[in-house]
Amino acid sequence: MMKKIIIILPLASTLLLFALMLFIILEERDSSKPPSALLNKQIPSFVTSDLLDSKNSFDQNITYKKNTVINFFASWCDPCKTEHSILMKIKKDFPNTFFIGINHKDKKNDALKFINELGNPYDKIGIDSGKIAMDFGVYGLPETFIINKNGIIVFSYVGPITKKIYNEKFKKFLSK
Amino acid sequence: MISYLGNFFIILSLIVSIISIIFFIINKKNEKIYFEVIYYINVRLVFLFITLAFCCLLLAYLLSDFTNLNVFFNSHTNKPLIYKFAGVWSNHEGSLLLWILIMSTYTFIFSFEKKINKKIINWTIFFQIIMIVGFLLFMILTSNPFTINPGNPNQGMGLNPILQDPALAIHPPLLYSGYVGYSLVLSMALSGLITDGIEKNWIQVIKKYSLFCWLMLTLGIGVGSFWAYYELGWGGWWFWDPVENASLMPWLAGIALIHSLQILNQNLLLKRWIIFLSILCFSLSLLGTFLVRSGILMSVHAFANDSSRGIFILLIFLVITGFSFLLFIIKTPTQNKATSLLEINKTSFLIINNIIMTIACFTVLLGTIYPLIIESITNERISVGAPYFNSTVLPILFPGLLLMAIAPALSWGKNELKNFILQIRILLIITLILMIIYILSNINLWGLIGLGLSFWIMISSIYQIYIKFLKNFNHRKFRTIISNNGSIIAHLGIGILILGITVSSVWKKEYIYNMKVGEIKTIQGYEIKLEEVKQFKVDNYETLKGKFILQQNNKKIATIVPEKRYYAVSKIVTTEAGILHQLKQDIYLIIGENNTDYWSVKIYQNPLVSFIWIGIFISFIGGLISLKR
Repeated sequence: MMKKIIIILPLASTLLLFALMLFIILEERDSSKPPSALLNKQIPSFVTSDLLDSKNSFDQNITYKKNTVINFFASWCDPCKTEHSILMKIKKDFPNTFFIGINHKDKKNDALKFINELGNPYDKIGIDSGKIAMDFGVYGLPETFIINKNGIIVFSYVGPITKKIYNEKFKKFLSK
Repeated sequence: MISYLGNFFIILSLIVSIISIIFFIINKKNEKIYFEVIYYINVRLVFLFITLAFCCLLLAYLLSDFTNLNVFFNSHTNKPLIYKFAGVWSNHEGSLLLWILIMSTYTFIFSFEKKINKKIINWTIFFQIIMIVGFLLFMILTSNPFTINPGNPNQGMGLNPILQDPALAIHPPLLYSGYVGYSLVLSMALSGLITDGIEKNWIQVIKKYSLFCWLMLTLGIGVGSFWAYYELGWGGWWFWDPVENASLMPWLAGIALIHSLQILNQNLLLKRWIIFLSILCFSLSLLGTFLVRSGILMSVHAFANDSSRGIFILLIFLVITGFSFLLFIIKTPTQNKATSLLEINKTSFLIINNIIMTIACFTVLLGTIYPLIIESITNERISVGAPYFNSTVLPILFPGLLLMAIAPALSWGKNELKNFILQIRILLIITLILMIIYILSNINLWGLIGLGLSFWIMISSIYQIYIKFLKNFNHRKFRTIISNNGSIIAHLGIGILILGITVSSVWKKEYIYNMKVGEIKTIQGYEIKLEEVKQFKVDNYETLKGKFILQQNNKKIATIVPEKRYYAVSKIVTTEAGILHQLKQDIYLIIGENNTDYWSVKIYQNPLVSFIWIGIFISFIGGLISLKR
């Protein structure tokens, strides 16, 4: 009897370990939590100059009556690179969404190179020396906000957008 | 272009592998003459195609073909050639291809094995091919290194500078040769179970492979720790980091395995245990790979951007390990006879070694996954670090280390105490001396224990070699003496390793100074003068070098030049410690930030630290000698 148990033990512990690891890996590390303090509040006001056209600038009124995505990024931020293909997909799938990129604490040439190499999903790119991110309560790069037609922040997400988040959240909010 | 070709070869190898599997299943019963010819040609074709695919990726890196996404993310045109080369396995996708290449290489070499009967070889290759298919699917579905870059850039992102180092260029291939090689050991164990063919030749062959894997793992870990020592700039060489633990677990299980195979060599005892260990080694490699690659351990540092990878590896782990242990239950081998642990002979000592290594291995495993479990249950983040491992693993290993000094001298069956008496005396004398030192001085207890242990192992090992040397010297068989004592030499290496670890960690000295150019500071036995700080540009980075003069009584002894490098492509600063390697101690310098005229400088005096790598190397040589025998 004792011997039987010993022989079954390795398989049993393997299964246990598998179940445990599966539980851990599937457990949602939900980056939209804790929710941003600005959730369900009006978009903070900002003014910024345009990265692609330095003579022009724009402010929060540009989002008026549009579904808007605001994405904070920088060329020095590696996770932003991984995220970039999904941003391109968002732009492709929801061409009517207004897409703002905020280039955070970056060198202009590096940012331009980043956009040229990886493609530009944004309708407008603003330059931020840190103040805009502070007003938005940005926690880390990349961070993305969805603003509805009434100018209310309906969703925010820290970290590169995953396929899952895209399917569950972005599709839901952007098709409204 | 190259990427398409690479994809083509990958798909081709997948198809041929699947054909081999089907072919084997169909022909399992009625073994026709043509069967083996076709089966073996197939298996070698798989190896050929995977090699060609690997060459494609290599070529893409060497030519800086940025239409390949993998090359684009990890390479840059102005990177030195050797790192374009090493860039292939510096990332998840490329290293997975290396993994598969090594797996198929082992299978290829094994297919020429003549010593054991064909049935076992066929089954072993069958299991290998199944695993290769699993990993090929993993690569194709989640992490293909031949993905085409959607954009068309003319420059790449560059390789993480911290990885741009010769030691780290050879580290992954060495480590993988160990990790992946254990898959063959597992396959052999499974085919031994199925064909009920666990006999002398099987043991000899599996011993050869498991020893080789363990040697590669040893060398890989050694190189890795050496890199950590001079590159990370923390003055240490082992940090009980999860990634390090992932390599330590199969290493410990591997020690148990090679020792348990010694027992089987004498009489067919403990078959079950051998099979269990053979399965365990590769299972731990897989588990380690899962922990490292899935990103769950690094959640603090990096976003786990793709959990599908982790799930896939976890499934591979479940299928391979689960199936193996299931087969282990169904076809469990019968035990010949029970053995008594209470006798003083080699067998019982080796069994004790096995128990200790296994316990140590699971202690490391527990410490590694414990934070994960706690975090998922309580949502609190805890960290299990060096204090846990030092205070659990080291005491567990202690009795094993005591026994290893005398075990090789004992005989197999007899319950004997003949050689033992003198050794006991040596041990008692060492203990006595150390106790007197301890009472008379306020020396660190851990240091004292480590010293005693290392001297005990070294003296006993040297004594045993000396005895055999005396016995055989007249016959002029020097080579036979050496070749018969690989294990003792390996043990001697461990003794030296323990000496290095003990002295360097207990008696290390650390100084932090702010120094102006021209200023002189004293450390134990020396003065250090900051001569100048210079900044200049090398190929793909800018560097800041501090030139320090090491003096003793105003006489110049050496110049030490620590560096800080700035890699413009990836915007990363790396530390290159300036180290003066001496046998008795390393003088280890790091230059930090500057505040107006003052540079912050860290100085470590690490006594006997070089003994760590000398010890590892001697152990490696000892293992190599045993392998040749």
